[in-house]
Amino acid sequence: MTLPDPPGAQTVIRLAIAAMGTRFELALCAADAARARAIGELALEEIRLAHERLSAFQPQSLVSRINRRAGAGWTVVDPDTLALLEQARDVHARSGGAFDITLGPLMRAWGFRDAECDAGAASAARRLVGMGMLAIDAPSRRVALAQPGAELDLGAIAKGHALDLAGAILRAHGVRNCLLHAGTSTALALGAPPGASGWRVALADRGRRLGPVVTLRNQTLSVSSPSGRTIRVDGAAHGHVLDPRAGAPAAGAQCACAILPAAAGACAGADAWSTALLVCAARPPRAPAELTSLTLARHGASWRIDGPASSTVSLTCDQTSPRHAGAREEIPA
Amino acid sequence: MTDLNRRTFIAQSAGALSAVALTPSLASAWRMPRGAALSVGVIGVGRQGRQILSELEKIDGVTLAAICDIDPSRLDSGQRRAQGARAFADHRALLDDPDIDAVIIATPTHTHREVAVDAISAGRHIYCEAPLAHTIEDCRAIASTARASAKVFQAGFQGRSNPVYNLARSFYRSDSVRDLVQMRAVHARKTSWRIPSPDPDRERALNWRLDPAVSLGLAGEWGAQQFDVFHWFTGNFPTRIRAGGFIANPDNRDGREIPDTIHATLEFPGGPTLVYQATLASSYEDEYELLCGTFATIKLAWSHGWMFKEADAPTQGWEIYANKQQFHTDEGITLIAEATKLAAQGRLQEGVGLEHPPLYYALQDFVKSCVEGAEVATSVEAGLRSTVVGILANRAVMTGEVVEVTQQELAVG
Repeated sequence: MTLPDPPGAQTVIRLAIAAMGTRFELALCAADAARARAIGELALEEIRLAHERLSAFQPQSLVSRINRRAGAGWTVVDPDTLALLEQARDVHARSGGAFDITLGPLMRAWGFRDAECDAGAASAARRLVGMGMLAIDAPSRRVALAQPGAELDLGAIAKGHALDLAGAILRAHGVRNCLLHAGTSTALALGAPPGASGWRVALADRGRRLGPVVTLRNQTLSVSSPSGRTIRVDGAAHGHVLDPRAGAPAAGAQCACAILPAAAGACAGADAWSTALLVCAARPPRAPAELTSLTLARHGASWRIDGPASSTVSLTCDQTSPRHAGAREEIPA
Repeated sequence: MTDLNRRTFIAQSAGALSAVALTPSLASAWRMPRGAALSVGVIGVGRQGRQILSELEKIDGVTLAAICDIDPSRLDSGQRRAQGARAFADHRALLDDPDIDAVIIATPTHTHREVAVDAISAGRHIYCEAPLAHTIEDCRAIASTARASAKVFQAGFQGRSNPVYNLARSFYRSDSVRDLVQMRAVHARKTSWRIPSPDPDRERALNWRLDPAVSLGLAGEWGAQQFDVFHWFTGNFPTRIRAGGFIANPDNRDGREIPDTIHATLEFPGGPTLVYQATLASSYEDEYELLCGTFATIKLAWSHGWMFKEADAPTQGWEIYANKQQFHTDEGITLIAEATKLAAQGRLQEGVGLEHPPLYYALQDFVKSCVEGAEVATSVEAGLRSTVVGILANRAVMTGEVVEVTQQELAVG
C-alpha cells in the first residue's frame, strides 16, 4: 500500500509513528497547520497507547498480563480492550473459526516466534487454542484465559483497533479529510483529498504485481497475505497466517482484502476479516452484509469480489478507468 | 533497614546462576492487607490522569470513587474509563464527598497549589504530580500545609519508587560506581507539545505548557523529574546552573516562546556536573539518566537499567552469569530486581524490564503509605527541592543567565 500525494493547494500534514512492528502514517488535509499537527499527534499517541496495551511482546502490556495469568484468574481490562475482545469473538463465530486470537501457542509451535518449528509441540498447542480458552465477563469488565499456556495474540486485529481509536480522535476534532494507514495492511480513509473523489489505494499481490486500485471515501480497507514472514518445514515454505481450524498454515487465498464503511470498530473489523478471508479463501456465509471482500486465489489470475449489491467501492485495474464493484465481479490480477 | 543491608550477594555453587538479590518488598509482591481498602479521587484526567486511572485499576483494594476535570470532553472520556466513579467539574465538590480517602492531583502544574492546599485542608491523603508547582512560593505553600497535616503527602517523582532505580541506587550507595566523573540526562521526544481540543476556545487553557507565564518548560516539566534521581542518588543538589535553548524544529516556530530544545549544565559540589539535554524535535535516545564513575557507570532508562563496569573495578563473581546487553563498544549488565528469585527459577531473562510502567510503582507506594503507614517514597520536602531546581533551570534557560542555587532557595520554609 502506498500513500498517494493528494492533489490541491490545501496544506497536507504528514505524521508517522513506529508501533506494532510497523509504521503508521497519517496524511491530514487542513487549513491550520499547527492545529492539524497537534490533532494528528494526539491521534498517533492513541496508537502508541494501543501498542503499549496490546503488544504480546512487551512485558508491561495488558495482553502480557492477561497471558501471564492464564489459568490463574481474571484480569480487569479497559472498555476499549473489552470491546475489541468481544469484536474478535464475533468475527471468530461469523467466520466459522477462521479468525482466532488465541492462536499464540500454535504460532510459537510453528516457529513464528523465536523457536524452531516443533511438530510435537504444534499438536499439543492445538489443545490450548480456541475461543473457548477466553472467558469474557463484560459486566465486571474482566477477562481470563482458561488454561496455563493459553495466550492472546491480537496481531491480526490490533492494528485495525489502533486505527479505530485514532480515527475517533481525528473525527472528534473535526478532521474530515485524511488517510491513516498501518504499514502495508490496514487503512482508514476519511473524506477525500482536495479535488479528488476519494483516496486511491493500490493493492499489490504476493508477487508485488500491482493489483486493483481502490478508491476509498469514508471507508476502511485491510489486506492480508501469507507473504512477509515465512518458515520452511521439510523444504516447503509456509506463510505466517495459520488456519486455526486445521492448526496449520493457511492454504486458502494468495491475498485477501476487506473493505467496510467507516464506523466504530470498522478498522478492527476489516483487519480481522481480511485474515478470515485469507484463511477461508471464500466469503463465509455469515460475513457482515456491508463487507466488500476481494480475494486472489492461491494460484489465481483474477481477483474475486463479493459484496453488497449496491457497493460503494470504486475499483480500477489500471488506475485510470474506474469500475464499480458489484457482487461477484472479477478483475484480472 | 539500610540500603546496604537490603542488598545481598548470593553465590550459588556448582556453576548455577548467581545474581543480585533484592528483598521482595521493593518490587511487585505487595498486596493490599486483608480487609483494607482505599477510596481514591483523581483530579485532572488529561493525558497523565488517564494513565493514572489505568494504573490504579491494577491495584487490588483501590476503589476509583471520583474523577474531576474542568474540561467537559476530558471528564466524559475519564468517566467512560472509570465506570462507576462520580464525576465533578470542580475539585471542591469532589472534596466535599466524605467517602474519598485519598486524592491524586494531575492538573496543570500552575494549578497544583490551589487544589493541593484545598485537598490537604480537607483532610485527604495526597499524591501530587511532579513538578510540585510553578513557583517557589507555591511549592512552599504546599509544603507548609502538608507538613501540618497528619495525612500522607507523596510528590509524584517516580524514580524513588522504581524497583530498577532502587536496585541501582543500592549499587551506587555501596560504592560500586566509586568517584563520580560526570552525570548526564536526556529526554527526547518528537512532538509539538501542543494539545488540540474539540472546542478550539479551550485550547489556550490546555496549552499551558506553551505559555511562558506559567510553564516551566522542558527543564521544569521534564527535567525536575530526572534531576530528582541525581539528588536521591548522590544526596547532593546543584549549586550553579548554566543553560540555553532554541527552537530546533521549524514546525515548532508557530509563535511560541518556549524553546523546543534545551541544554543545561548543573554544577554539583566537589566538581562533577550534570549535563541535561531535552528536546521536542528528535526522539533519539528517548529518556535516561546516567551516573558515570571511576569504577562503573549506571544508566537508567525508567523501565530498564544497566551497569557498565570498568575492567579494573573489583569483581564479585556474579557478573559473569548476569544478563548482559551490548551497546556498541560497551557491555551493560542488566539490572534486574528480584534477580536471585528469578535466577533460581531459571527465569532471569523474564526479569529484564519492569513488569509495570514506573507510574504504577509510585502509585502503589502511595497506597501502601495510606493504608499501612509505610514511609512516604517521595516526601513533600524532596519534591519541593527537585521542583525548585527545575524552576531555577528553566530560569537559566529563559534568561540565558547563570543561576546560583542557594540553600535559601532549597529551604522548605
